[in-house]
Amino acid sequence: MQTKHKVNISISTIVIYVLLSLGALVMVFPFYWMITGAFKTAVQIQMFPPLWIPTSFALDNFQTALSMAPFATYFMNSVIAMIGCVSCCSFTTILGAFAFSRLDFPGKNIVFGLLLGLMMVPFEMIVITNYRTIIDLGVYNTIFALIVPFTSSIFYMYILKGFFDSVPTSLYYAAKIDGCSDWKYLWKVMVPLAKPSLVTIILLNAIATWNSFLWPMLAVSDPSVRTLPFGLYAFVSEGGAHTELMMAASTMIVVPMIILFMFARKQIVNGVARGGLKG
Amino acid sequence: MMDIAKIKQQEKRQRLFDKIKPFGYLAPFAIGVTIFTLYPIVNVFMIAFQENYNYITKTYDSIGFDNFAYIFSDPYFIQALQNTFMYVLIVIPISLCLSILIAYLLNQKVKFKGVYQTAYFLPMVTSTLAVGLAWKFMFNYRSGVINYLLNLIGIESINWLQVTTYNFPALCIYGIWSILPFTIILLLSGLQNIDPLYYTAARVDGANEKTIFFRITLPLLKPTIFLVLIINTISVFKVFNELFPLFNGPGVSNNMFTVVYYIFYQFRVRMPGEYGYAAAAAVVLFFIIFIFTMIQKYIEKKAKE
Amino acid sequence: MKITLSHITKQFAQTTAVSDFTAEIESGHLIALLGPSGCGKSTMLNMISGILPVTSGQILFDDNDVTDLSANRRGVGLVFQNYALYPHMTVMQNICFPLELQKVAKAERMERAMAMAKLVHVEELIDRKPSQLSGGQQQRVAIARALVKNPNVLLLDEPLSNLDARLRIEMREEIRRIQQETKITTIFVTHDQEEAMSISDKIVLMKLGVLQQMDVPQNLYDSPANCFVADFLGNPPINKTTGVVKDGGIQLDNGPLVHDDRFTNLKDGQRVTLSIRAEAATVTNENGNVDCVVDTTYIMGKESLAYVKLGDQRIRIYIPADHEFGEGSTLHLKLGKRGVFVFDETSGDRLI
Repeated sequence: MQTKHKVNISISTIVIYVLLSLGALVMVFPFYWMITGAFKTAVQIQMFPPLWIPTSFALDNFQTALSMAPFATYFMNSVIAMIGCVSCCSFTTILGAFAFSRLDFPGKNIVFGLLLGLMMVPFEMIVITNYRTIIDLGVYNTIFALIVPFTSSIFYMYILKGFFDSVPTSLYYAAKIDGCSDWKYLWKVMVPLAKPSLVTIILLNAIATWNSFLWPMLAVSDPSVRTLPFGLYAFVSEGGAHTELMMAASTMIVVPMIILFMFARKQIVNGVARGGLKG
Repeated sequence: MMDIAKIKQQEKRQRLFDKIKPFGYLAPFAIGVTIFTLYPIVNVFMIAFQENYNYITKTYDSIGFDNFAYIFSDPYFIQALQNTFMYVLIVIPISLCLSILIAYLLNQKVKFKGVYQTAYFLPMVTSTLAVGLAWKFMFNYRSGVINYLLNLIGIESINWLQVTTYNFPALCIYGIWSILPFTIILLLSGLQNIDPLYYTAARVDGANEKTIFFRITLPLLKPTIFLVLIINTISVFKVFNELFPLFNGPGVSNNMFTVVYYIFYQFRVRMPGEYGYAAAAAVVLFFIIFIFTMIQKYIEKKAKE
Repeated sequence: MKITLSHITKQFAQTTAVSDFTAEIESGHLIALLGPSGCGKSTMLNMISGILPVTSGQILFDDNDVTDLSANRRGVGLVFQNYALYPHMTVMQNICFPLELQKVAKAERMERAMAMAKLVHVEELIDRKPSQLSGGQQQRVAIARALVKNPNVLLLDEPLSNLDARLRIEMREEIRRIQQETKITTIFVTHDQEEAMSISDKIVLMKLGVLQQMDVPQNLYDSPANCFVADFLGNPPINKTTGVVKDGGIQLDNGPLVHDDRFTNLKDGQRVTLSIRAEAATVTNENGNVDCVVDTTYIMGKESLAYVKLGDQRIRIYIPADHEFGEGSTLHLKLGKRGVFVFDETSGDRLI
C-alpha cells in the first residue's frame, strides 16, 4: 500500500513535468527558431527537414540586414520614443495621481469617474482623430508624433493612484505639520514609497512603447523616423528580404525585451496580474 | 513670537494658492487626456454621423446614418465582423482551457518555477510583429517546421499562408499562442489567492486530486475566469497587428479583414481616406466593447457581493 | 505656552463633532483629552494642530490667535496613533526631516536630532528603518521627530493604543519623563482612563463633542460633575442604582430605603441615580445606611469582591477576606464620606 502510494505520486509528478516542459517548449520554440534562423545561410534556411542547430554563429545576416535597411536608426528612434514616452508619461502620471489621491478640487469624483469610463475606449477607435491631430499640429513624420499622444495615460494614473491611496493619511499630515509643501511631500515621501509601483508602470509602459506598431505606422513614414517594428515591417513588405535576414532583424527587436524580462520578471508579472495589461 | 499681521497676509495668499494648486498638478495630465482621448472620441462619434465628411475642409453635407448604412452593406465590413467574431469564438475558449491547465500545473510544487514562468510569459513582452515573422517562417509551406512535424505524424503539408482556407486557422494558432501568457498570469494569480486550507480540508474529508480540482479549485476560480474571459474578449476583438507579419495585410485575396483592420483600411489604405466610414466602424467597435465592459463591471460587482 | 480654546465648534456635513468647547491649558502641563470613541477628542486635537479648520471659535497660543494659521505655522509637534514614520527613511533621517524642511544646516541638524534620539533613548537605533523597530521604539522615534523642531506644543493622538499592555505602561511613564524634562505643554488623546489618570496634570473629559469636566485626575474621581464622569472613571466601574427621594432617604426601585444625613436636603419625589464606588461601602456591625444580601463573592487576596443585592439591584463592594459571608447572608452597609454621589436621573446633573 505504502509503496504503491509513493509510485503514484512520482508518476503524477512526472506527468506534471512532462506537460509543463512540453508547453514551455511550444512557447519558447518560435524564439529559438527566430534566433537560430538568424544564424543560418540562405540555403540552410530552406532545408527540409529543417536544420535544428545552426552550423555557424557568424553575424553575417545581421550585417547584411543592417546594410540593407537603416536598422541602427530605427533602433535609435525606438529608444528615443521609449524614453520620451516613459519619462513624459511618468511625470504626468505622478502629478495626476497625486492630485486625485491627496488634493481636493471641485468635481474631483465626477472627473475621476469620467476618466474610468474613458479608460475602456479602444485606442484603435481614437486613432482616426489622433492621426489628423498629429497632422494638424504639424508634427506628422517627426519623432514627436510618436511621443506626444502618449504623454498621459489614464490607465497608469489609475494604478498609481491606487497605490497613493494606500499610503496612510497620517504621513501626509505629519509632513504638513513639519512644514512640508505638497510638492516636497510628493517627491520626498510619496515617490520614494511608490518606487515598486512606479517601476512596474515604467516597465509596462516601456514594453508597450517598444513593441507598438499601429501608431508608428500611421504617424511616421520617412525611414529616418521609423521605429523598429514599423521599420522591420517596411523591410519585409518592401520586398527583397530573405527569411534569414528577417529573422536577424526580428532578433534585434526581441532580444532587448527578452533581457529586460529576465531581469524584471517579477515586477512585470505582478504588474500585469494587478492591473491587467493595457492593450 | 510671530508677526501676526504679516503671517495672516501670507496665510491668505496660501489659501488662494491651495485652491488653484490642484489644477496645476492636473494640467499636464489633463491636457494630454483631453487632446488625445477625450476630444478624439467625441470627434469620432461626430464624424460617424456626418455624411460625406471632407477631411481637408472638415465640412459635411448632412447628419444621418449614411455611413452606417454604407458599412453594413459593404461586404468587407460584413466579412470583418464575421472573421472577428469567429476569431473570438475560437481563440477565447481554447486559450482559456489551455491556460487553466498550465496555470494549475504551474501552481503545483514544481522546481525551476522561474524558468517555466520565463518560458510561458515571454510572448507577452515581445513584439507581435517580430514574433509573427518567426511564425510566418514556421508556417512556410515548403520549409516550415510545422509542416515537417505534421509530415512526421502522417499529415500532408498545409499551405497555411497562401491558400485562403488555411489563413484563418494559421491566424488562430498564432493568436492563441500570443494570448496565453497574459491569461496564464491572471489565472495563476487567481489560483494563488485561494486559501490552501480549503485543499487541506477537502483532503482530510477524503477527496482525491480530481475531485478537489473540479469541486473546489474551479468553483473558487470562477470569478477570475469570468474576468479573464471578458478582458480577453475585448482585447482579442481588436485583432489587427497579427495580420501584418503573417499575411502582409488582410490575407492573400482580401479574405482576412477584421474590424480594426477595416477601420485602418477605410481611413489609411483607401486613397483618399474615408473618414466617415472608418468612424462609423469605430463606433460599432466601441459599442461591441462597451457591451462586454458592462458585462465585466456587472460580474465584478456580483463577485464582490 | 498657554493654550486657550474658546467656544470651539466643529461641524461636519451632518454631525457636530465638537460643540462650544472652552478650556484653558496652562503652560508646561500634560493634559489628557479623555473620552469614549467618537466623542470628538481626536477632532479637537486635529483642530489644535491645525490639520482641521474650526467651524467657529478661537484658538490662542499664549496671546496669539492661531485659529486661521495652517498647521506648519503653529509650531506644534504631533505624534500619530500609527506613528506615521516615513518607511523609506532611517530613524535619523526621520528625526532630521522637520529640520531639513526648515533648512537648518546639516551639522546642526545632526546634532539636534542626536540630542533628541538620546532624550527618547533610541540613539543606538538611528541607522535602522522603521520596519526594523518594535512598536515602542517607533513610538519613541515619533516623539523625537515631533520634538526636534522645538515645538510650542506637543500633541499625541492615542499614542499608546497600538502597543501591548506591558509596553503601554512603560511608554506612558516615558512620555511623562520626556514631558517633564522638556517642560513642553502637552496634550494627549486617549480613551483609557487609567492612562489619563496616571500621568496627566489635568484631564479633559469629553462626551459627544461636549466638554464634561476639566480638572486634576483626583478631583474628577472624587468629585465628578455629572453621572457620565462618575461612570467613566474608576475600576471597577461605579455602582449605579436608581430610586426616588422619600422621607430624607432614597427609596431604591424594588429595593430598600437608603438613609444618609446627606440625603435630607433632596426634594421628595425626585427620581435620582445613586452611584456608589465599590470602595465607598463598608461592612459594619452597627446600624449602617442600608442592608444588603450577599449574592456571590470572589476572593482576590487581601480582600474579596462581593456582588450584593439591594432588593433587585446588584452592586459590587469590597469585603475583608477574613470574613466568611455565605450566599444569602445579610450585611449592614455603611456609606463612606467619599465616593457616594446622587445625580438627577434624567439630566445626570450632580445633586450631592
